[in-house]
Parts: sequence; C-alpha cells; structure tokens
Amino acid sequence: MARTPLVFGLGLAVALLVGWVAFPRVLYVQRHQPLEFRHKTHAEKSGIVQCSECHAFRDDGTFAGIPSIAICTACHSERIGTTNAEATLVENYIKPGQETPWLVYARQPANVWFPHAVHVQRAALECRECHSPYGESDEVRIYQLNRVSGYSRDIWGPSISRLRRAPHEGMKMSDCEDCHRRRNVEVGCIGCHQ
Amino acid sequence: MKVTRRDLLVWSAGATAGLLFTPVPWKLLDDVSIWSQNWPWIPQPTRGPVDVKLSFCTLCPNGCGMRVRMAGGWPVGVAGAGCHPVSRGALCPLGFAAHQLNWHPRRLSRVCYRGNTSSWGEARVAFTKACGEGPIMIIDGHPGRAASSAFETFVQRRGSYRVVPGQETRALAPYGTWSGIPAAALGYDLENAGTIVSFGAPLLDGWGTPGRLTRLWAERAAGLADPQLHLIQVEPSFSRTAARAWQYVTIRAGGEGAVAEGVARVLLEEHLVPARGPMPSLTLVEVAEQAGVSTDAIRDLARTIVARPPVVAVADDNNPAIAALNVVLGAVGARGGIVRRSKHIRQDVCAEAAIRGMRAVLIDSTVPWDFVPQTDAEVFRFAAWDGGSTKADWLLPAPGFLEDLTDVPTAPTSGMETYAVAPSLAEAPTEVQSAAQFLSSIDPTLVTVDKVIHTRCSEIFRQRMGTLWGQDVTPVAKFVSVQKLEEELWKGAVWIGEPHHAGGLRCQLNDWPEAIGPARTSNASPPWLVPVLPSLASKLYQESGLRESPEGRSA
Repeated sequence: MARTPLVFGLGLAVALLVGWVAFPRVLYVQRHQPLEFRHKTHAEKSGIVQCSECHAFRDDGTFAGIPSIAICTACHSERIGTTNAEATLVENYIKPGQETPWLVYARQPANVWFPHAVHVQRAALECRECHSPYGESDEVRIYQLNRVSGYSRDIWGPSISRLRRAPHEGMKMSDCEDCHRRRNVEVGCIGCHQ
Repeated sequence: MKVTRRDLLVWSAGATAGLLFTPVPWKLLDDVSIWSQNWPWIPQPTRGPVDVKLSFCTLCPNGCGMRVRMAGGWPVGVAGAGCHPVSRGALCPLGFAAHQLNWHPRRLSRVCYRGNTSSWGEARVAFTKACGEGPIMIIDGHPGRAASSAFETFVQRRGSYRVVPGQETRALAPYGTWSGIPAAALGYDLENAGTIVSFGAPLLDGWGTPGRLTRLWAERAAGLADPQLHLIQVEPSFSRTAARAWQYVTIRAGGEGAVAEGVARVLLEEHLVPARGPMPSLTLVEVAEQAGVSTDAIRDLARTIVARPPVVAVADDNNPAIAALNVVLGAVGARGGIVRRSKHIRQDVCAEAAIRGMRAVLIDSTVPWDFVPQTDAEVFRFAAWDGGSTKADWLLPAPGFLEDLTDVPTAPTSGMETYAVAPSLAEAPTEVQSAAQFLSSIDPTLVTVDKVIHTRCSEIFRQRMGTLWGQDVTPVAKFVSVQKLEEELWKGAVWIGEPHHAGGLRCQLNDWPEAIGPARTSNASPPWLVPVLPSLASKLYQESGLRESPEGRSA
C-alpha cells in the first residue's frame, strides 16, 4: 500500500476529528446559572400559563426581559422550600435586594436592537419559535460561553455545523434574515442596528 | 517504521486539507470578528433595564423630537419621535448618531488655559477677576433658552449679551428691519403654502427643522396629498434639494437676487399680483445677463409661481431682493407665507467678530466653532468637543449630548410657537460644566436653569393657551395644575402655541432695496470646520449634504 496516501489520510482524519469533536468542546466553556430554576414547576404550582406573566412588557411596550427580583420576592420573601436553590435565592438575592445575575442565553451584541413587542405582539410569534420550548422544561440548562466571542452558544446554535437546525436553534443575523425572508418582511440595516 | 520529513509534510498537508472541511476556520473567523467588536477601548453600553424616553435634539436650535433608547440609564440609541408635531419622526443623520458623540476622541475633558492643563478653580478666579476689572460679554448660540436668561441676568450689571443667529434667522432679518419686529419672532407658514420658491436654501437637505420639509415634501409635493405643493429651486448648483424639487431653475452663481428682481418685475408689469411693492430697478435684460437665464425663462417662472398660491420665497441668506419679492407676492404676514409667531420676543443684538472695549468674552458651547472673536479681551470658550479654536484663552469642557438640562424654545423657521424641555438623560463626566453652572458658581444669586424652566411652565399654565403634544394631545386649559403640565413637559411633551394670526406683520417698501453682493461665487464648497461639532461629526454632517459651506454662502 502506498505510504503517502496513508499519511495524508491520517492527517486528514486527525484534522476532521479535532475540528468536529475536540474544537467545539474547547471553544465553549460551561457555566452554571446562579440558581436552579424550573419553569415547569413554577408553571404548575403558580398556575402560570403565559410566558408574558413573568417575562412581561412594560406599559410603554418595551420588553422587561428576565423578571426582576421584585417578582420573585412576591412569593419567596421567606423560604418556601428546603432546596439549596431556595436558600440561595432568599439569602443571597432577595434579602439583600440584589438582582439574580442570570446568564442570558439569548443576549445579543450591544449594536443589535431587537424589539420584542414588534415580534410578539404585532407579528404574533410564539416565544418558542426563537427560544425553544424551554419554558416547559424542568431543568436549568448549562450556559455555554464562547471563549472567543464572549456570547452564548445559543446565538450560533447547538450544531457546530449549523446544518439541519430546528427553527429556534440559532440567533445569528442570518437567522433573523431567513425568518424575515420567509415571512416577506424586509427591513433595512437600521431596522436592527439603530 | 521511520517517520521522515516527507511524512511530516504530507501529514500536515492532509491535516490542512482536513481542517478546511471542519468548522474551525469558518467558526473562528466569525468569532474573531465578533471579538473585535468588544475590545476594551470600545465603549460598551451598560447592561441594565432598557427604557425609551422622549427628548429633544439639542445639537442645533431646531429641537427635533427624539426617542432615546436607554440601557442601564445610558442613551444607546436615538430615533425620531413621531409624536413631535413639527419634526414628526424625522431626524437628520447627525441626530441619529448623536448619542455616540459623547465618546468622541475629541471630546473635551479638561480645562485648558492657552493649551496647558488648568482647573475650574483657576478659570473661576480668572473670570471673577475679569468681571471686577471691566465689562464682559456673553455670546450665545441658541438664544431664548433658560440658560440664555441666566446669561442675560448675569451681564445686566457687568456688560452685554450678544447672539450668533443661525443662517435661517439671518434670512428673516430684512423683514425684521422693515417691520420693526424682531426676526427671531418670525417664521414660515410652509404647511399652508401652495408654492415655495427657494433661492438656494437647502430646503430638503436639513434647512430649519430637518424633518418638517422632508415630511411636507413626502406628503404633498409628491402628489400623495392635496393640495399638491410645488417646490421650485432656483440655484446655481444641482443640489439634492434641486434634484428633488418640482422644478429646478439653474442660474449663474450669485444671481439669486437678480432673479428675484426679474420675477417681481414680471409680476408687477403683467399684473399677476396686486401692486404691493415698488418696481425693481433692473430691467429683464439686465436680470437675464446677471443671472444667466433668458428673459422668457424669468417670465415663465413668474407665471408658474403665481399659478398655485399662496406663494412664499425662501432665501438662503439675508438678501433683501428676495424679501422684497415676498412683499410683492403678498406673502408677508399672510397665510402660507412669512408670519409672526410670537409677540413676546425682543430683538437680540448680533455678535460681530470684532469685539472692542471688553475685558472678557464668554462664549457658550452653542456658538459654532466658525465664530472666532477678533478681540484683545480674555476669551472663555465653552465647548463639548474640540473644534480647533485658536482664539480662546480658556477652553472649558461643557456637557455633551443630553448631559445637561435645557429647554428648547421655538425653532428658528417654525411658524408656530413651541416650547419643550430636554432633561439630562446621561450623566455628565465630573470634569464638565455648562456656562450657566459656571456663572452660578461665581454668582450664587444667579437664577438657575431649572428655576427658569419652572417659571416658563408656570407662565404657559397661567395663560392657559395652546396644546401639549405628548403621548396624547391635550389643551393646556385642561391641566388642573402647573405640576401636571410641567411633569408632562419633562417627560417629553411639546407645547404648541395658538395658531398665528395673519396680519400681525406688515412690511411697506417705497423703493426696491439695494441688492447685497452675490450670495455665491462658486459652485464648489470649500472644506470647512463644522460649527460646534468635531471632525468625525463634521464629516458625517458634510457628507450628508445637510448644509453647504458657510464660506460658500458669504463669499
């Protein structure tokens, strides 16, 4: 058997292995959220059925994003459970009046303006279309931080190749453009980069 | 098996080829490009609650309404406020990027005395000493603000107050001279005009309140709304306004006044208008020779403009011939023409570059950088950005965009009286002070800006006239207390006065006014230092084509 193709193939195989298997593991560092938060449990025990009941719009139409500690305090002013997360929430955040430093999976760069009101209220998009059915899960996902860009893996999407993605996987500019194109909604640069 | 050098090279070639079929180079290229947006020296907005506040642009006196997007208490985005009754959601390109200016490299952050670092304490001592040794002068670029009141109060016993009027206010000066009404109290009722004849004024390129004409043109000149507006641009160069106008008349540089005379002559000779003014001295042949247009073209122009009344002529400078044309057209003190919008404005004295007999001159940060005082007096110049002044002894860092509380009086070209309050939305650096704050630190009895604003709000409430335009439109008479009214104004509402009454302005001309020199000598706009703003902004401003060179106008 010829030696040269074998060595070439070996180099090729190592590079493919490194590129497809090792690289994603090295690129992303795993971070844990400050608290174990379970969407499903909260929905079941509190009777919350709409995302907007906690992730609300303000009176002026802007999106408040992650609920402030004041909303948590309404139920958790004192410990109502025995878990470590409950103790951490009450002792570390509610009693000192500090906001919980959640790691935001969908955080975009500062030069991106994404109006939730336009997408949710006017275009009637479901939250899950961008955020996955995360609100129905009973686990807190590990936040994967891109070591180079500094943003969450959710922006690129779980698939390193970005092939065969579900519609909610990925929040790159091209994903926004694809969605707009599918819905025949064209916006210029200044629509998002104000 | 022995590994040879050839094996290593072949292996590397294989690995390189393999890497191209992995996400490594492509993903890293994407990530590195994002990483390069986050270098530590690039200012990043604070993370925090996102909020939108209504405010007003204070870069020029037009005070366009803007929606300021705040993140963590800092302005991170600007957009036009559709609820503003004058600018109606439009902003000039500079206004759209104004929140970036506070981080500009040429932002002033330290007190300088003749090029050397100094301190506010030393500047205060020097100014106090100057006040005690002789008369002082304060020069204001945006008169009529609360800060302007503080300036006037300060110099009452110490010297004099002067203003540097904008180009649009200068263009109204002849009417002020002929009627005895201050030019600052006059405006254009363009919303009711049927034909606008612009003699070189960049109406669709940022003239007056930039959004006003753009909106008007979009709605009425394009024929989408009735009555259709005719915009006729008379200009030597094919400017953007000329390109978008309903009709463009090309003339020889400096021929604007002559064309106005020619049009007036045709109007009077052919009895196209009632005889309201004197016959111009130039004959049509002389006009044609001076302006580089045929006599037939002038006749056609005169017949065209009166076809769709009301007609108003807009000048780019204080050329009295164009003002006299408005008198002939009956556009002075008439609906759709030049109107008196306010009865309470008094005449301010214009600052001249040559200043004599003063011990010190204080120049507010609203004065354009191209105003360079020729004086032996000690000059204290406030500025947020270094515009390249070489004539100031003291360079004093002023608050930048939205860093200082100010009020926004009526825009220079507006046909209606307006009033608004632009609160401080961004925290100013500790090293900066406004001129009003500086004067207050010297004279603690001086009235403060917030107190003047309160007094003005109380006056609006007391008169119970006009309407407040905010999220809703509410007549002032419906407010139950001045606090409620003031609260709305602080939240970004605009007060609009009562509609003007035609007839409050009269200009009588016995003789045709002597024309001033040619408005332009060349189509080319020489490079210029933009007023107030730094080099990056001036590039944006210049490239946006908002205005042409002031040297080009006055040459």
